[in-house]
Order: sequence, then C-alpha cells, then structure tokens
Amino acid sequence: MRGDPTTYGNEAAPRGALQRTRRSGPTARADLTDTGGGPPIAADVRADLLRQTQELAQEVARLKALAVAFERWHQDMISLMSQNRDMRGLGEDVASIVKQLIMLSLNAAIEAARAGESARGFVVVAAEVRSLSLRAQTLSKDLGKNLHRSDLTTTATFQDIQAGGKLMLAAISGLESMVRQLRARIE
Amino acid sequence: MLSEQTKQNIEQAFHRSLRASLVRAPDDVCAIAPASGPGPGGQPGEILLVVTISSFVFRLLTLFQVGADPATRAYYVSGAQQSLDEAFREFANMCCGALNRELAEQIPHLAMSIPYTLSSQCLAYLGELRPSFLSSSAVTINDSVRLHVTLCMCCSAAVDFVASAPPVAETTAGELEMF
Repeated sequence: MRGDPTTYGNEAAPRGALQRTRRSGPTARADLTDTGGGPPIAADVRADLLRQTQELAQEVARLKALAVAFERWHQDMISLMSQNRDMRGLGEDVASIVKQLIMLSLNAAIEAARAGESARGFVVVAAEVRSLSLRAQTLSKDLGKNLHRSDLTTTATFQDIQAGGKLMLAAISGLESMVRQLRARIE
Repeated sequence: MLSEQTKQNIEQAFHRSLRASLVRAPDDVCAIAPASGPGPGGQPGEILLVVTISSFVFRLLTLFQVGADPATRAYYVSGAQQSLDEAFREFANMCCGALNRELAEQIPHLAMSIPYTLSSQCLAYLGELRPSFLSSSAVTINDSVRLHVTLCMCCSAAVDFVASAPPVAETTAGELEMF
C-alpha cells in the first residue's frame, strides 16, 4: 500500500497535505521570485501575482466562516443527542409499565381460574390481555435495542463532526499562513 | 483498506497509550490481554466512554467499558462528590491524546473529539458503523481493576501506519501481557 497515491499516512515527513505543499513551497517560490540569475520579474507580472494572492487570501478568509457552520451542526447534534436521551427515558418508562401489565394479567388469569365456571369469559379476557402485554414487552425490548443502536451511531457521527471540524479549521489556518508567507515573498 | 501490519501497529500504539495513561502511579502494573470482543455489557452502574480520533479518511473510535465495582471506583474516583463517569473521562481523554499524538507523527490532519458516555449495551451495535478494524482487550491494573477497551476503525480510503516505538512481543491468547 505504501507508495499508493490513495494511501493515507506514513508520510516521509510528518504532516501531509499542507506540509507537502510547504515542502514544495520553496520551489514554487523560486518560480515566482528567483529568476535564477535572469532578469527580475516584470512589475506587471508581480502586480498580477499580488492580485491573485490577495484573491486567494480572501477565499481562505471566507473558508474560515466554516466555523459557523460547524457550530450550527454541533448544536444540532447536541439537540439530537438530548432527544435520544429523552426517548431512552420514555422507553424505560414504557418497559416498566409493560412489566406491571404482565404481572397484572397473570394475576387476573389466576383469579379468573379460581372463580371457576362463572368466570369462563373472564379467563379468555385475561389470556388476551396477557398475550397483548407479552407482545408489548417484545416491542418495548426492540425499542430499547433500537435506541441503543441510534445512540451509538448518533454519538459516532457527533464526535466525527466535532473532530472533523477541528481538523478542517486547523488546515484552513495552515493555508492562511502559507498565503501570508507567499504574499510577503512576492512583495 | 488496512493491512494486517497497520492494524497491528495501531493496536500496539493504543496499548502503549493505555499503559501510559490508565494508571494512577508509574509503578502500577497494567496488564493487557486480547479479548474476543467487548465485555458482556449492561452491568449495573457500568459506563461506556467513547472518544473519536478523526482524519479526512478515517475515524477511530476508542471505547472504554468501565465497571462500577468497588475496586474500580476506589482506583479512579478521587473524591466523594465525583462520579465514576467524571473521573474516568480524564483518563480516557489522556489515553486518546497519547494515541492521537503517536498517530499524528505519521498521519496528517488528525483531531480528537471530547469524551461522551453511553450505555455499554450500545457495544452490540458496533457493526452498524461498518468498521474496517475491530479489536477488544481486557485491561487489568494491579490485579484488581478490570476494564474492557475496544478500538473501532472505519476507513474510507487506504491508511498506512508504521509503529514508531519498538514492537512489544504479543502474548498468546489467555495470557496477560505484563508491563
């Protein structure tokens, strides 16, 4: 995998893209300002380079507004995580009610059986209630599992966005610094 | 996306960060043994702390499953007012910080999230994240504090990582690796 252009990591020197650009920076700068003993760069070429560098700096400054978008996503994710927490609480309440329902339906079935022939109809009703409460229990367990699954995927996404935001802003800052250096060199 | 060597190197880097960060005193003994998967989960009071290290092409979730047994509480919780969750966050953060630094020596553009607490029952759904690499270990400190740690790495491009420290000899399954 090493040497594969799509492979990430194991750089010959630390810190990838920006540093790679930085490593190539001196060569690029040489192309701009060092004419290798030839005639100096024409004033109009220099002015054009400065204008392009200025445009680049403005674009990088605009990119920094990404921080606002990251903050918005961050707030939305916090809200989503909070909703998940509330849903988990509701799910636990439902599970507790279902547990009590199962006990009640079991007691009802026992009482109906004790009452004998006169409560035959009630036996059927108690059995139906028990069957329904057992189905509710299965659904409640499935809901709990889904909430755990949702918690994990939401948290993983939340943390990825959080860390991703940090690394993108760091990359933009690096770019900003490089543009500043380039501009100073041209001037 | 990940060679066996890279998986092994990342796991070893994680083990180094565990040894360096999960102990309270330098002479405490931290033993790490491979585990077939995360602990059973769902024990009363047990917490699951998650911290993610992200790059543009992968995310690496580190999951710390910490039991609320008296030995673990006594080791990590320093004051009566502090919860196990609060206390362990600091250790998880330091551990991932150490791993992040080691990975950043070779892998550009890395950043780390803040720790977040989940139910340990969430561990059953790690497959939902479609990981390229999953690895679990049982950690024992001073023969009394026991926790489970899991690495879950999801890649969207090939990643290569070479260990920067000399590799530590892995023990055979079931034996503890003493440091």
